[in-house]
Amino acid sequence: MSEPRRPPRLLVKAVVVTFGTVAALLLLVFFFVRMTVRDQVRLTVTQNLDVSQRMLAALEERRLHELKTQAQTLAENPTLKAAMDTYAAEASFGNGSGRDQLLATVQRELDKLSARVESDAVALANVDGDTIAASGRLGSAWLREHADRRLAAADTDADREALLEAGGTIFRVIRIPLTLDDGATIGWLDLGNALDAHYAEMLDSMSRTRTAIVHAGTLVATTLSQAQARDFQALLRTSRPGAEAATLDGTSHAYREIARVGAARIYALSSVDDAAAEALTRMNAVLALLALGAFALALVGSLLLAGLLSRPIEQLSSAIDRMAAARDLSRPLPSTGSSRELDLLTANFNHLMASVTEAESKTEAAYAGAIRALAAALDARDPYTAGHSERVSTLSVGIGRVLRLPDGEIEVLRLGALLHDIGKIGISDDVLRKPGPLTDTEFEAIMEHPVVGARILRTIPFLLPHVDIVELHHERPDGLGYPKGLRGDDIPLLARIVHVADAYDAITSARAYREGRSSGEALRELWRCAGTEYHAEIVGALARALPRVSPMISDLTAAIRPSATTEVLSA
Amino acid sequence: MQGSAAARRLAHRLPAALGAILVCIAGFSPALHSEPAVSGGISGHVTLTSRMRGSPISTSAYASRSITRQATPTAPELKSVVIYLKGAAFAGSLPLSHPQIRQQDESFAPRVVAITRGSTVDFPNFDPYFHNVFSLSGAAAFDLGRYPDGQSRSRQFTKAGIVKVYCHIHSQMSATILVLDHPYFTTPDVDGQFTIPNVPPGEYTLVGWHERVGEQASRVIVESGHITTADVSLPVGDAR
Repeated sequence: MSEPRRPPRLLVKAVVVTFGTVAALLLLVFFFVRMTVRDQVRLTVTQNLDVSQRMLAALEERRLHELKTQAQTLAENPTLKAAMDTYAAEASFGNGSGRDQLLATVQRELDKLSARVESDAVALANVDGDTIAASGRLGSAWLREHADRRLAAADTDADREALLEAGGTIFRVIRIPLTLDDGATIGWLDLGNALDAHYAEMLDSMSRTRTAIVHAGTLVATTLSQAQARDFQALLRTSRPGAEAATLDGTSHAYREIARVGAARIYALSSVDDAAAEALTRMNAVLALLALGAFALALVGSLLLAGLLSRPIEQLSSAIDRMAAARDLSRPLPSTGSSRELDLLTANFNHLMASVTEAESKTEAAYAGAIRALAAALDARDPYTAGHSERVSTLSVGIGRVLRLPDGEIEVLRLGALLHDIGKIGISDDVLRKPGPLTDTEFEAIMEHPVVGARILRTIPFLLPHVDIVELHHERPDGLGYPKGLRGDDIPLLARIVHVADAYDAITSARAYREGRSSGEALRELWRCAGTEYHAEIVGALARALPRVSPMISDLTAAIRPSATTEVLSA
Repeated sequence: MQGSAAARRLAHRLPAALGAILVCIAGFSPALHSEPAVSGGISGHVTLTSRMRGSPISTSAYASRSITRQATPTAPELKSVVIYLKGAAFAGSLPLSHPQIRQQDESFAPRVVAITRGSTVDFPNFDPYFHNVFSLSGAAAFDLGRYPDGQSRSRQFTKAGIVKVYCHIHSQMSATILVLDHPYFTTPDVDGQFTIPNVPPGEYTLVGWHERVGEQASRVIVESGHITTADVSLPVGDAR
């Protein structure tokens, strides 16, 4: 037999509900903040990119300007000029002696220059545009590819800046003339800056963004990863100009064009996701801390709340427990004062209990009436015993009051005394009304009546407290009573009281064979047998009670006697 | 100060003027002495026909290092042309000259000088700052070092050929010295008129030379007692 599942404690419920609420709230905050952070980061990245764009553009312009200035300075190198001019003059004069030496001088001078400038290639071209010497990181490629020819053909604009492809590398070329004071140009100094990975990395390090260099729609150098570069290349083919956001290899990027040289475009790219990840990590840490705090607070809060709710309820229920244990329904429950709802509950409970108590007392009154009627009916079988039970009851209550018994005992006494002879219901009228002396058999039948009465009462739970009175009201202190032959203090107090009251009424009542004796005689008789047949202190109590009880007895007798007489006469 | 400077300048120019006279005398002397037959001559007119190639483009990024050039009156471009007979033979001792190339206002003046082999050229400094003279040319590679205002250094040219001269301090300065094995050369006057007198009869290659063009050759035949006319056209525009 499995016990039905008990509902959870209030505390558990409170904790669960609070935690659930806090968790839901935190989740909401988490997603909201996450979205906000992403948007914010995207904005910041874009703004940073704009700043980078402006900065890089300005830096590049400045760098270019400086490079031009540098080139102008380099172009004033007297040795270069002298060698170039001498070289040209000797050619024009028709003798080529000492050419190798001149070329070596030029080369040596160029090597020195290229060590001092950032440019990837420093080249010297004669007045016809033919490169005769080159130096620098990519100088050899420059010579090999005859860059000069194409450079001469290229559209060298006013800034003497041109874009050139040599050996698969795109060069940004600054061309400065070598001049003498006759105003003649005797050659050209070319500074080539490769738009290659090296350059991309340099831009990268300046702006902390990714860099991509595109020439005629083809990616020529980039600091992006391979997969990202592939995506960007694809994007360049399809995207319309002005688009500034792209998804590269699954991550969101923003990009800007930071420079354009001829057909070449330089882009700065920045990953939104990378930046967001950083911010989100920080945010997650903060939120985790927040969540910890929130849950701790929620725990404390729910414990407090549960305590607030359950403590008065526990108080109330323990008060009810105490009430039930004491069987004291008359006292109202104290209101806890913790909440209106609980006070209402208490008030309602008290109200209910009051109704129950009232109903109970009514029921008891009804019972008592019924028992009284029964007892009266029994007494009425013999005209001489009419009103006997009522009188014994009144007398017993009187004695009980003298003995200062509690109210509960008095009530038990009242009904018990009323019912003390109920067992006589099983005794035939012949025996009961027999005027003469009883036979042994008849006497035995009479002596059975306490046991019979007790048996009847035991079947009614409500009357259980009265069983002792009914069963033992013929026991005597000397142990000669019946049915059990108990002695002295073994006989319950209430039974002793009813015993004395019964005897007193029997003595004072008339019988078919004798007159009723006076109260004084009865008392004397009782005193005579006190200690043996009757308990002395009860007889004493009776004596003290009589002055107050007698009038009530007379009233009862007066009320009953005529009808009883009538019945006797008619019978 | 102004007066003394002018006097000093005059003192420097005086030998140059004397030298020029000497050259004239020397130029005539072979004709007078070593050639009993009547020599002929070549005269003509030099025209500069087109602008020079590689005309300079002014650059705003970095101004020319020459700051006084614009103010300097310079000789017309025609004075930078040399007319000579290519590979002409000359027997006997060459008449020597001693011309000057002044360093003035951050430029060499004159820019072109033709001399006979063995002649010496003076390089006086007329600028109130240091100058240098050096050459990387095969015919004469030298460096006269740096020297200040008022000093002059000289160099004798013992090998025929073209000698380009520069200043290491002022990279735009340049001058050309044509060292020739014979005296048959001249420089046209400001109108382009030139005459090479006392040329033995024969067939020659007449060359008009300009530093930006090189040699512009044409054949001439010199007859005894005659002045052959040969005009020279050089595709060099007068840059000024």
